[in-house]
Amino acid sequence: MIVGFRPGAGFLHRAHPFTPLAITVSVALLAFVLPGTGGPLLLLLAVSLLAVAAGVGGVLAPALVLAIPFWLFLIILHGLLDATPDRAVLIGARITAMLVTFTTAVAVVHPARLVDALLERGLPFSVAYLFAATLQAVPRLRERAREILDAQRCRGLRVRGSLLNRATAVVPLAVPLVLGALTEVDERAMALEARGVGAATSRTPLAPPADHPVERWVRWALLALPAVVLVVRFVG
Amino acid sequence: MAPRLLALIPLAVGINWAMGQFVAATHLPVYLDTVGTVLVAALAGISPALATGVVSQTVLATLGGNVIWLWFLPVQLAVAALAGLAAQRGGFASWRRAVVIGAGVGALAAALSAPIAFFAFGGVTGGGVTVITTVLRALGVPLGPAVVMASVVTDVLDKAVTFTLVRSILIALPGRTAARFPATGRALGRS
Amino acid sequence: MIVRLQGLVFRYPGAQEPALRGVTAEFWPRDITVVTGRLGAGCSTLLLAIAGLAPRATGGEREGDVTTLGCDPASAEGRLALAGDVGLLFPTPWTQLSGMAYTVWDEVAFTPANLGWSRDQIGDAVDRSLRLLDVEHLAARDPRTLSGGELQRVMLAAVAVTQPRVYLLDEPTLQLDPAGAAAVYALLPALAGDAAVIVATTDVDRAVEVADRVMLLDDGRVIGAGAPDDVLGGAGAVTAGVSTTVAEILRAAECPGPYPLTVSGAQRLMKR
Repeated sequence: MIVGFRPGAGFLHRAHPFTPLAITVSVALLAFVLPGTGGPLLLLLAVSLLAVAAGVGGVLAPALVLAIPFWLFLIILHGLLDATPDRAVLIGARITAMLVTFTTAVAVVHPARLVDALLERGLPFSVAYLFAATLQAVPRLRERAREILDAQRCRGLRVRGSLLNRATAVVPLAVPLVLGALTEVDERAMALEARGVGAATSRTPLAPPADHPVERWVRWALLALPAVVLVVRFVG
Repeated sequence: MAPRLLALIPLAVGINWAMGQFVAATHLPVYLDTVGTVLVAALAGISPALATGVVSQTVLATLGGNVIWLWFLPVQLAVAALAGLAAQRGGFASWRRAVVIGAGVGALAAALSAPIAFFAFGGVTGGGVTVITTVLRALGVPLGPAVVMASVVTDVLDKAVTFTLVRSILIALPGRTAARFPATGRALGRS
Repeated sequence: MIVRLQGLVFRYPGAQEPALRGVTAEFWPRDITVVTGRLGAGCSTLLLAIAGLAPRATGGEREGDVTTLGCDPASAEGRLALAGDVGLLFPTPWTQLSGMAYTVWDEVAFTPANLGWSRDQIGDAVDRSLRLLDVEHLAARDPRTLSGGELQRVMLAAVAVTQPRVYLLDEPTLQLDPAGAAAVYALLPALAGDAAVIVATTDVDRAVEVADRVMLLDDGRVIGAGAPDDVLGGAGAVTAGVSTTVAEILRAAECPGPYPLTVSGAQRLMKR
């Protein structure tokens, strides 16, 4: 199970992994350089339609849910207290567009494909490994944290009360978690070394994704777009 | 990068994320999302801590879907670097040192995160900081200063607790584990 | 001769006593050697020293000579020369996972890919290894969803994929249920092929079924080496608690030594 990834066969799934990433970067920059409130709103609409067209319309709901706290504060801070509702909408659209495009990218890019693509482009193995291994390690530690919390609660750990009480309660939770993790480090490191990490000059990508010249042009165009918009705004 | 670091960093990032469970359970007004990074700084030095910061920010943004975090990468890097420097100079040698240095790092972190929050997102980053910002704003404080004050209060508290927690972990390390990470001695002020 | 140890002494960092105190031994191809002893006798450390991971990855000090496949495995050149030729399996399957594979196939392909093999070579090697370890049906599964027994077989496939000339198996069945453990030991002779297989384990009951030689360690020293019956069948080994259950039962029943180690050996004895 890969958190956030949705298996599918849409055009973004089949694209080279760098393409959805290029879209995300481009949108993130455009969200700041597009003019007025209309710009980011149109951008938001565009990326939402893109998600649907790519067959991952299902990401819209979670992305919008993530956006709710932002909108709430924006309405209070900028809509009510500052009486600049335009600004609230502008920033809200900006944040939501970035959230939608990012969750789309996560939904269509399989981590293993991304790693292979990065390795093929000459990224050092350490970097690719760190990202890939961390993606797998994090949910595991989260699970262990939950277990420690339950176990300590059974032993009578009190997590309510005064601020100091609660702060000190974190220690018998954090220490076992960290010590448990550290004892694994040596064995994991030895296993990695025994399995050839760091031995050869470069690792062979197992299934490097195909890349079309057209896709490459599209990526460059996407990345150039914010710059173009910026220039047009200054000149015009 | 040495296999030992390749094994350590993913676990440290996991700790960054898992601390959120404990924070939620104890309802503490902090994040503790840099405990792993600061720990790596004390165990292994500045460069590994910086790497942990980068990996942490990107992977946790991916897993949580919260892309906004990516804009705060400079803050994570600053914390990692400062924690590394502090560790080299025995910053974890006593409780008082840990609290004071942690608070200092928090203040510097706020100095970086406040402008990002203000200029890029109008002061809205969706967490506890924004709650404080809103309250201050409602009390009549202008937005800019409100964001700064909220960031400082949150970050100073968060990093002071983080550094203290890391010291308790370093002290609790069994001899054999500590021997595998020679930098630990320096961080605790022993040589 | 594939592995040669001469007066090997090894001390872990910060340890008062050495874990190995002057071990001298040789290991040969097509032999399955079981290294056993009480907990803490130094069996795991012995394997790590043969692989060069002690002291390279564990820290600590080593005296004496270790020659694995003609080089010193702890040196930088030795490490490069031996990559893929020494296969090491650890007790816990989960901590050996690469951490970046989402299918068993990719997991088994981890080592050859790291060694820079071509995709064709990797494909052939992985397919062959999966077949050998009878885990072909798991090829598309996510390794994190496997049971302990299945995963250890997969990790053994991941070790066997480069066709190492030395297999170092450290407590390979510790985390497995009886059926899983039996399956692993049943596979060892097929793996041995032209390789030397060295298994460190306290599970002597199963290990002696496939062992060609046994090496008994106590407190870092070799106190017995040779045929299983000779090393483990004597009263000394049985009273020390390092022999098989069958031998212990027969001794407790006050049969005269030397004691058979297996059920079939006991049956033969009783028929007489």
